[in-house]
Amino acid sequence: MNAVLIAQNTFREAIRDRVLAGMVVAGLVMLALAQIARPLAMGEGLRLTVDLGLSSITMLGLLAVMLVGTSLVAKEIERRTIFNLLSRPLPRSVYLIGKWAGLSGALWVVSGILGLALWGVLALLGRGAFWAPIAQAVYLAGLELTVVTAIAVMFSALSTPVLSSLYTLGFFLAGQWCDDLREFATRAPGSLRTMLEWIANLLPNFSLFNVRTLASVGETTTAMHLGLASGYALLYCACVLALAAAAFESRDFK
Amino acid sequence: MEPSSHMEAAPGAANALAVRPFGGRESGQSARTAADCAVRIAGLTKTYRSNWSLKTTRGLESLNLEVQRGEVFGYLGPNGAGKTTTLKILTGLLKPTSGSAWLLGEPIENVSSRARLGFLPEQPYFYDYLNGVEYLEFVARLSGMPAQPALKAARRWLGRVGLGEREKLVLRKYSKGMLQRLGLAAALVHDPELIILDEPMSGLDPFGRRDVRDLILEQRERGVTVMFSSHILPDVETLCDRVAILLRGRLERVATVGELVEGGGARIEFRCAGEPLLELPVAWRECLTRAQRTGETFFTLTDASQQQAVLGWLVARGVEVRAVTPQRNTLEELFMAAAESSAIQASRERRSA
Repeated sequence: MNAVLIAQNTFREAIRDRVLAGMVVAGLVMLALAQIARPLAMGEGLRLTVDLGLSSITMLGLLAVMLVGTSLVAKEIERRTIFNLLSRPLPRSVYLIGKWAGLSGALWVVSGILGLALWGVLALLGRGAFWAPIAQAVYLAGLELTVVTAIAVMFSALSTPVLSSLYTLGFFLAGQWCDDLREFATRAPGSLRTMLEWIANLLPNFSLFNVRTLASVGETTTAMHLGLASGYALLYCACVLALAAAAFESRDFK
Repeated sequence: MEPSSHMEAAPGAANALAVRPFGGRESGQSARTAADCAVRIAGLTKTYRSNWSLKTTRGLESLNLEVQRGEVFGYLGPNGAGKTTTLKILTGLLKPTSGSAWLLGEPIENVSSRARLGFLPEQPYFYDYLNGVEYLEFVARLSGMPAQPALKAARRWLGRVGLGEREKLVLRKYSKGMLQRLGLAAALVHDPELIILDEPMSGLDPFGRRDVRDLILEQRERGVTVMFSSHILPDVETLCDRVAILLRGRLERVATVGELVEGGGARIEFRCAGEPLLELPVAWRECLTRAQRTGETFFTLTDASQQQAVLGWLVARGVEVRAVTPQRNTLEELFMAAAESSAIQASRERRSA
């Protein structure tokens, strides 16, 4: 119950913070720009619109996580607003889960709005049938941002906002190349191979959430892929938040 | 920060505070269980370790303390004495290095021990994007109140602390005093059985201080236990049933305000006209002092049994005695004397080490 309260409050903060409103405006501007650039795309205007629309959800979401998520807990510690919360019957782990859930929820809402806007533009272009691939891609982008938020909350609970931003960005970039790293590991010798495989397994595999190429040609992915990605995102978030909670539990608030 | 050494201490005050170090069986802890007390602290120690130099500093040392249910308990000490450290350990914000503590009979390690607790941190900060009602409703629900009663209590308490007419004003527009009042409302909104306040008078004007005093007294009448730290000693003297004095992380004394003040030794002041040329008898040199102010002479006697003898001696020498007034040590004088005594002792310990 208390996790829901913290989540609601974090959601409210994110919405009133204007960063997310800015994200929506920026996403809409990107879509408009794509329409202006469409005649120059040599027949690939539709693909450009879908690609840019979906990429902007992920990129702007990442920006929002970097601006809001990485200071989500650190800011509360710095401003000492956390004193009024943790001095109540609120377990620290529940507080972290609430923070993560609140910001993730806000990012889902924004992703949904931008996804709807993208579908609206496609409908105007006579491609309303693209709703299923767009919905799938937006869903997976939402999952991806949920995982990034969990990572940001973990670092925010343990470090300063600047360092949290750097670590989160590092994880995001490394996670994009997770499959490449695994591929590289197969060619590496002995112990290096084992080490690289371990690293690849520990890093978030963000390529699992990328179906933009499929969506841009109007194709959908399988239900199994969606299920697997959902399960993976939930499991990864649970592990990251459990790690964060364990470290946060012993922290002193001076 | 050490207390200023230039302030004059009341005669006998240092001794009054130094004679009874608190702890162990003297505190009577063995007879009572944790459930009988609102707050029970046993051997609580906190040391801080710097991440860079690995140097450790002592915040609190083997603290033993009990606060009885229904009493108003003052927690005094100069800056850096360990007051806030104690309160933060009790409220779950700091982890103790060793020792145990209980709130209303429940160990502080249990999160549920804070369900019936109201806490006002020193210089409280709030979410500046919320308004007063939203904030109070939020914290009331965090303490376990259902939604509707929490909203009603939020409105009631916002009005109770004088902010009811500005329900919709966002907290970023609140003044320092308004934030302090809101913090107090947040500590009380869920009707707690125990209230811990860290410097509740800080940042308040005289009207605000009076309101806080009234609130504390109102809570005591309701049977709520109040434990608070403060630097404003006249308020402590007015409000508290008992006070504890903490110096350099150690508990120096726990007593009722009356015991402390009476134990400090009464003084008798003789106000005399003019500036008579008198040599003080050798027998009274230890207990009788003289000071001259604005055309009058003040003789201060620290041994009450000599009052008649001193009066007779003055009258016999033709001195016009205008008033004979018994003087009581204030808590402030006693506190300053204890702080000075502790600082001197610490300095000696350092030198001998």
